[in-house]
Amino acid sequence: HFKMEFPRCKRRRSADTEPVSWRVLPVLSDEQCQDTQLLDAYAAPIADKRQTSRLVRALATVYPMAGLQHIKRVRARKDPGSPHPLEIIVCLVRDLPATGDERGKSIAELLSSADVDTSALGEPFLVKIPASPPLTRPQFELASKHWPTSFHEDKQVTVALRGDLFTPGEKAKMQGFMETAIAAARAGQREGMQPVGGVIVDPQTERIVAVGHDCSQGAHPLQHAVMVCIDLVARAHGGGAHQYKYAHCKFSEAGSPPRLRNGSALGLEVKGNVDELEPNALPYICTGCDLYVTREPCVMCAMALVHSRIGRVFYGAASLDGALGSRYKIHTQKGLNHHFDVFKGVMEQECEDLISKPS
Amino acid sequence: MGTRSERDFRRPSPEDIEGWMQKAFDMARAALDSGEVPVGCLMVHSNQLVGKGGNEVNETKNATRHAEMVALDQVLEWCRLEGRDHSEVLPQTVLYVTVEPCIMCAAALRLFHIPLVVFGCKNERFGGCGSVLDIPGDDLPNTGTAFECISGFRAEEAVEMLKTFYKQENPNAPKPRVRKD
Ligand SMILES: [Zn+2]
Ligand SMILES: [Zn+2]
Repeated sequence: HFKMEFPRCKRRRSADTEPVSWRVLPVLSDEQCQDTQLLDAYAAPIADKRQTSRLVRALATVYPMAGLQHIKRVRARKDPGSPHPLEIIVCLVRDLPATGDERGKSIAELLSSADVDTSALGEPFLVKIPASPPLTRPQFELASKHWPTSFHEDKQVTVALRGDLFTPGEKAKMQGFMETAIAAARAGQREGMQPVGGVIVDPQTERIVAVGHDCSQGAHPLQHAVMVCIDLVARAHGGGAHQYKYAHCKFSEAGSPPRLRNGSALGLEVKGNVDELEPNALPYICTGCDLYVTREPCVMCAMALVHSRIGRVFYGAASLDGALGSRYKIHTQKGLNHHFDVFKGVMEQECEDLISKPS
Repeated sequence: MGTRSERDFRRPSPEDIEGWMQKAFDMARAALDSGEVPVGCLMVHSNQLVGKGGNEVNETKNATRHAEMVALDQVLEWCRLEGRDHSEVLPQTVLYVTVEPCIMCAAALRLFHIPLVVFGCKNERFGGCGSVLDIPGDDLPNTGTAFECISGFRAEEAVEMLKTFYKQENPNAPKPRVRKD
């Protein structure tokens, strides 16, 4: 065994004395980010409050609103001028027989074919209701403006969206790792490479497993910083495909492989023990590891991280064809068998400066 | 950037495509017979073989060492040995492969400015040429050059070989799924 010292770049500020000035934000799936889709529905005031539970049952039989279990059938009146305190959804407009004019129906028309006592219902009116259950607090707050929905809040996602998932101490450590990645990027740039650097860390031991920078301007156009880092982790495990002649592309001998992280902090679906389902025992050498990279990975690198089973990715600056948020969200891509959490904004300005203010 | 003049690329004739795909299938068959993942992958420049790849994930402990990545390395090595500039060779080089390249490899082929990829069956789990994503056709101005795909070449045969392989590999496997890495 040998121990390798990873040089830290000269600190322009000390993380111990000054609070970090950047925010680390989650890169959520499209489903978690998109604006709530809305559906047209008819609602009606409940004129006789005592009939509420009977109406809920009767209407659920006639118009079950399949797939909309998140919608609360009854709400408190929106208009304080209305004489009736409760309102109920009668049906979705799309569930009515298509007659060309689905607007301005009377309650008798809406329930013409059904055996429902409508005497406790007032005149129906059109409302918009959220088509899917809210996944995040911002989505819930928007959805609730239209009609009340249930919301199974993922507290971690809420905290992450506020930029508060990590403590100042954790952020100071992140800064240390990103500073190492930035130093590697600058060293690569001095060799004529793209100014991109990365660091792969075992978060359990807080040990750096590999540091690398872009080498794509040399003999091999595919040697992006992430590909170099993955190959260096393989070398640390006694494998590897390439040699790197640059002083800032290096690995430290691996200890025991990191354990699988327990799920996603960002509400992503995490599959069971994938290794058991695989016909080949593949070397998922980045399992449980964190990647710090100065720039958002391209689609090749992002998919390489899926194949390597990376645990989490932290990046500084976004990139135009970036595949972890900008152009694709490979880490949440439906159909793929590994998902992981991604955070952006770590030392964002310093990472931007690598590109816009080359040294 | 990102576009290519049709005139620049000298397309292989249908007979040449047929012939190289036959070789790719022979390679996959040979891999199957020796108990390896049955994928054949060839890179051809001016009707000359310049790269040939098999999956090297296990040897290298690097999960990105798919057959295509190995073959692309060989093309670079060929250029070095022949004293050729790879930026001239790659835009005239065709990939023949029995299974659809994954998302990573499809992006690598873009970054290499490969103009044409001919493949056999789909890769439903990771496919980057239409199955999961469409990397060759998507508008990615900063990720190499868009390329053309000819798909479905003897697809049933390619699927059969993969099914046979995974049945041998693990008789208790829940269901045979098309995969190649
Ligand atoms: Zn990349
Ligand atoms: Zn691949």
